[in-house]
Amino acid sequence: MTVLEVMERLGSKEETLIKSWIEDAVHLIQSNTKEKIEVSKRDLIKSSGSTDNVYILPADLVSLENISIKDTSDSKYKKIRRLSNQPHYLAEDISP
Amino acid sequence: MSSYVDKEWFYYLRGRELLIYKIQGGSSTQRISQSGVFQSYDKELMYPDENISEGLRIEYTRVSEPFVKEALETTTSYESGIIISFEDGTGSSSRDVIDLGSASTTEFVANDKIRIRGSSSNDGDYTILAIATDGSTGYRQLEIAADSFTAESVGERVTITQIPVDDSTSPSTTSHINLNKMLSLAVLDYCKAMIAERNGEMDKKEYFMKEFYSKLGDNESNKRNISVTFPAGPFAIK
Repeated sequence: MTVLEVMERLGSKEETLIKSWIEDAVHLIQSNTKEKIEVSKRDLIKSSGSTDNVYILPADLVSLENISIKDTSDSKYKKIRRLSNQPHYLAEDISP
Repeated sequence: MSSYVDKEWFYYLRGRELLIYKIQGGSSTQRISQSGVFQSYDKELMYPDENISEGLRIEYTRVSEPFVKEALETTTSYESGIIISFEDGTGSSSRDVIDLGSASTTEFVANDKIRIRGSSSNDGDYTILAIATDGSTGYRQLEIAADSFTAESVGERVTITQIPVDDSTSPSTTSHINLNKMLSLAVLDYCKAMIAERNGEMDKKEYFMKEFYSKLGDNESNKRNISVTFPAGPFAIK
């Protein structure tokens, strides 16, 4: 369906406004039904400081589907689970 | 080497940040008195302890390409087979070439965007610049920008699928919504709701928003057809 067709069905000549509403509707659809899924990959770094485990979520994220980590033993991405609470204590010594 | 990542790695969401943790293997024990009482910690969490190239994968939705140049329903061109090969710079003006290995007419046309999967080294998204024919074999060829491909002979099962061409940078009235027909109708309901809201007709706004969500639900249920069968009782009227 073209923008023009939407405008004609609505009886509107406000092209910019209609395009904005269409983008809003697509945003709402992506938030509710996950129509189109994107994938972003980042390098995972060996932590040496207190904020090295912090990664910024994609700036254009609408809805998070899942997080995976690459299992290097079989080169497959495996979904990891979400912690509902931030850990109260933490072993900052990262040596095994 | 990371292993059992699905069991040993976790994430925590903090605002727009993602915090990654890993379970420290085994348990740690420390003496807390001279009498030999030990305090034990099991499964402590620690920060990631190794570098993994592209080790973090985030799957999410975003508003990407809301407008495209062609209706989604018509982007159906497709080719596949083990006779498709890739040539480096053999096309006109030294363009790279996908040789379809067949003289049959292809549905692809110039300016189509395509996604290649299954090749050894040329998977990716490309734009077709022209359709050509090999002078010696008569096979159909798709010309792509120079320096796109690594030469690859036939053998792999390659699929070439048409994908929508983005038109979101400066959409015009002829741009299409990058959604199927059902969701495009849902968008129409959303716009009607916004017009009703602007006119102060809140009852109409509520009605059209209900229609909007109803179409979203229909679109999802159309992909998940579930049939429920009930056993008929021995005395049921048939």
